[in-house]
Amino acid sequence: MDDMTAFTWMIVLPLLASPAIYLLGRLFKEDGARIARWAAVAALLITWVPFAVAASDLNEHGIQTYQHGSIMLRLDDLSLLLAALVLGLGTLVTVYSGPYMAAESDQEKYFALLVAMIGVMIGLGCAGDLFNLWVWFEGMAIASFFLVAFYREQAASLEAGIKYMVQSAVGSALVLMGIALVLAQTGTLDLVEIRNAARDSDMLLAAGALFTIGFGVKVAMVPMHTWLPDAHSQAPSGISAMLSGVVIEAGLVALLRSLGALTGVSDSWGTLLMIFGAFNMLLGNLMALRQTQVKRLLAYSSLSHMGYMLLGLGIALYAKETAGAQGSLFHMLNHGMMKGLAFLAAGGLLYTLHVSLGDHSPLTVSDLDGAAQKYPITALGLSLAVLGLGGLPPLAGFMSKWQIFVAGFETKETLIELLVLFAALNSVLSLAYYAPLVNALYRRKPSKAVQKGQPMPVLMTVPMVILSVAIVAVGVWPNLLDWLSGPAGDALLATFGF
Amino acid sequence: MTDILIILAIGLPWLGALAVWLVGNKRPEQQHLLAVIFAVAAGLAALLLIPSYSDAAELKIEVGSVFGDFTFVPDGLGVFLAAVATVVGSLAVIFSVDYMHGDAELGRYYALVLLFIGSMVGLVLTGSMLLLFIFWEMTALCSYALISFYNDDPKAVEGGIKALVITSLGGVGMMIGALIIYAYVGSYEISDFLADPEALPSGVLGVVAFGFLAAAAAKSAQVPFHTWLPGAMEAPSPISALIHAATMVNAGVYLLVRFYPAFEDVEGWTTAVILVGLLSGLLSALMALVAQDLKRALAYSTVSQLGYMVYAVGTGAIFASQFHLLSHAVFKALLFLSAGAVIHSVGTRDMRQMGGLGKQMPFMRNVFIVGALALAGLPILNGFWSKELVLEGGLEEGPVWAYAGMLIGAGITALYSFRMVWLVFFGEPRGTTHAHDAGQYMKLATGILAVGTFTTWLLAGVFGELLEDSLPYHHLEVETGTKIIEDVITAPATLVALGVVALGLLGWWFRKPLSGIAEALSPVGDAAANDFGFEAVNRQIVHWTKEAATALRATQTGYLNWNVVGIIGGLIAVLVILVLGA
Repeated sequence: MDDMTAFTWMIVLPLLASPAIYLLGRLFKEDGARIARWAAVAALLITWVPFAVAASDLNEHGIQTYQHGSIMLRLDDLSLLLAALVLGLGTLVTVYSGPYMAAESDQEKYFALLVAMIGVMIGLGCAGDLFNLWVWFEGMAIASFFLVAFYREQAASLEAGIKYMVQSAVGSALVLMGIALVLAQTGTLDLVEIRNAARDSDMLLAAGALFTIGFGVKVAMVPMHTWLPDAHSQAPSGISAMLSGVVIEAGLVALLRSLGALTGVSDSWGTLLMIFGAFNMLLGNLMALRQTQVKRLLAYSSLSHMGYMLLGLGIALYAKETAGAQGSLFHMLNHGMMKGLAFLAAGGLLYTLHVSLGDHSPLTVSDLDGAAQKYPITALGLSLAVLGLGGLPPLAGFMSKWQIFVAGFETKETLIELLVLFAALNSVLSLAYYAPLVNALYRRKPSKAVQKGQPMPVLMTVPMVILSVAIVAVGVWPNLLDWLSGPAGDALLATFGF
Repeated sequence: MTDILIILAIGLPWLGALAVWLVGNKRPEQQHLLAVIFAVAAGLAALLLIPSYSDAAELKIEVGSVFGDFTFVPDGLGVFLAAVATVVGSLAVIFSVDYMHGDAELGRYYALVLLFIGSMVGLVLTGSMLLLFIFWEMTALCSYALISFYNDDPKAVEGGIKALVITSLGGVGMMIGALIIYAYVGSYEISDFLADPEALPSGVLGVVAFGFLAAAAAKSAQVPFHTWLPGAMEAPSPISALIHAATMVNAGVYLLVRFYPAFEDVEGWTTAVILVGLLSGLLSALMALVAQDLKRALAYSTVSQLGYMVYAVGTGAIFASQFHLLSHAVFKALLFLSAGAVIHSVGTRDMRQMGGLGKQMPFMRNVFIVGALALAGLPILNGFWSKELVLEGGLEEGPVWAYAGMLIGAGITALYSFRMVWLVFFGEPRGTTHAHDAGQYMKLATGILAVGTFTTWLLAGVFGELLEDSLPYHHLEVETGTKIIEDVITAPATLVALGVVALGLLGWWFRKPLSGIAEALSPVGDAAANDFGFEAVNRQIVHWTKEAATALRATQTGYLNWNVVGIIGGLIAVLVILVLGA
């Protein structure tokens, strides 16, 4: 057993904090909810310390490992990127959730689960062997089920939770079968050792397919995406931001780790990801086009953005093109910020217009009418978020899409270039559903909902402001996040042995 | 010093945007004042930039990774267009003080206008293709947000989104082109590409050339992408003058000119450019002739005049196209602003509701007539000189059929110009509304532009020299100012063109006796009024997309069983792909 180092503390701290938050919330009858909430914020803020140390360790000494019995943890730049994304958005969502959940009962469970989910996802990024990866993956799923179905009195919320759980479980079962096949064939579970041992075999090919589909459920690759619109729209808005901004991305990292181990088994992994990417982009956009519920619309938009990430990764694996991996991971960060902001802002309006009045009906596009008059910051934030998602400069989304597209054209292969053209046209199509949201927000005549809307709590506004500034900053200065996405892209290709 | 001026010309409007927004809508007077100060200051910076023009990157910000360097090259083309953008921008802002007086949300209005001005300056000054595309899309974003400034009006919302989607669609062509160039040349520097376009295989270069043409056509509202511009007329009139007449719509022509040396040898490219210019010039002149909405008539006229510029690029008359761009920017901004003053005053855009307004608004009548005469191409106004140059160049270098078409277009231009003037300012009043005279700021802005309409052609020599000196790849040979004027006066083509213009004028004068001809041509008029079917094609595409999206909703069944079937189906598909591929 190795000594605990910064990066293991980064994983363990939130996991230890989670039960403590729950207990604090239960023990203090009067102020339990408030104490749990602030304990969660404190725990996450403290976790930034080992994160910073781990980042500098990684930078100076290279990949960090930790062995405890058969558990193997490995911190590389890809793990660090996921940790940064999870911790960053997680901290903001926790702050935001304070006022958002203030009127709900059992808040201590909400915050304990949220912090646990954050810790588990950081751990998932560091998993060094297949089984361990699966355990973290399941941990993430379990924490998120309860958070999706947190409004347990609401039928729609429960329905979404059940659908999510069943489909997720099907995926997990497939992954587990894949692991069994790998173990039977190679006799090891360590990702690096599998990569060295793996030879061309039908069994391992089948294992790769099982991983693709099994993890693909969580990644919401078409046609395994059907749980996502319900889950993302029914969850409390902070959780929607987490699901869309990091949970599906964590699933993607798990998928990449598992395929990285099987790199020698097939040359088709890249092609496969590109195909899924194309379907995700098109279906996500077309489904979003006719949506009238804002959170559902944003959920479908997540499908299409996952498509961009898959496209870039596919290009990276297919052509050993670093820019594709870097671009995709850059897009992962940007999407986390943009979609996080979009859900927080839409959730803010949902809260002030509906939830705070005890109404659990969904936020529709027509509810947004004239919201900018009363909620100028939220409206500006939502506008920046959706225009950035649509890929308009000078906002973050444009820059990462551009990097992915550059990778596509660097291959100089016509089919891939056509795929990039298809992706660009999809971006234009997406403007057709993002822009009307902005137009609605800036009407003069407020909707009925806005007229009786409550004031926006400050603690919900602060995370939106931070994310808005970040989106513009990265859009103006694209290299702001290169210290994360650049090495992470290299690390990803390294896990595939390129 | 040059780099500071570049930063000021781009940065001052952006700073102003922030300032106006921060001041808040509760203090409109300060917002007006701040907007004017920052816009005028940017104008001064851009004017000061003209003498320090150069063909090298005077400002370079290293970004690295796949984003290259952000460079700015203040060459003759760039500094001139930057000056146009900021000067017309300042005038539009000054005009807005009256026009937007008492309107709500001035913060959003001015912030977007100033953001636009800075972006437009960046667009023409940058030497990096990536940055060019970024500014290109930023202007589209501002244009969209300002067209639908009055968000409560569904037509404004539709117009804005339509403009955004169509220009972005065209923009994809430019993006693909830039990506291809980067893949082959390894740099975003426009000059690197122009130095050696042969680095691209000829077929690939063709894709780039036509991609850029599509982008230019969409941005400059050329056939078949022109349909967004009439819809853009829902914007406040100063926006129409600034963005949809004087600056952003010129970006397409600018793009063609900028990359002309690389594309001129691509097979079929110049012919395609000529064709786009010809179709736009001719068809939209006809549409302007039958339009009843004053701003739509001006919008079609803009499409038509941009067609002349595009046509000029196709025939290789680079200087003529940019010279006409300058003239058009001035006189069309004048027309839009004075039309805006009229519309502001009578509260309708329908020319059938106007008539006889000249007596009530004598100043606006006078400046509008100046603009209209320049548009028609009457000497000695700026439109005359530049249009003659375009036609002369077309006759010398271009195909005769195209020249003939453009000549007919010039006649129709004269006809619809006089029609507009007559319907708005002369004859019997047809509307019941009483018109009040325009405000001081409106008169100031239009007055300056009217003076410009009389004088900007005197800059021909300086402008030509600037282009010649600082565009090393274009190999321009521009004559001195006096020689240009002499040429135009003595060329037989000028007489022909003037004859056609006179025909147009006579056609309007004797419209009653000629009504038989008009009747015979009425099917053409009807087709023109229906946008020659382009609008219908647009609607059909939107309809199909919506239908497809609606049909697809059936896949979200809501039944868990089907969801799991999806997972299993996915597994089978992946297995098949892997087995076949591996």
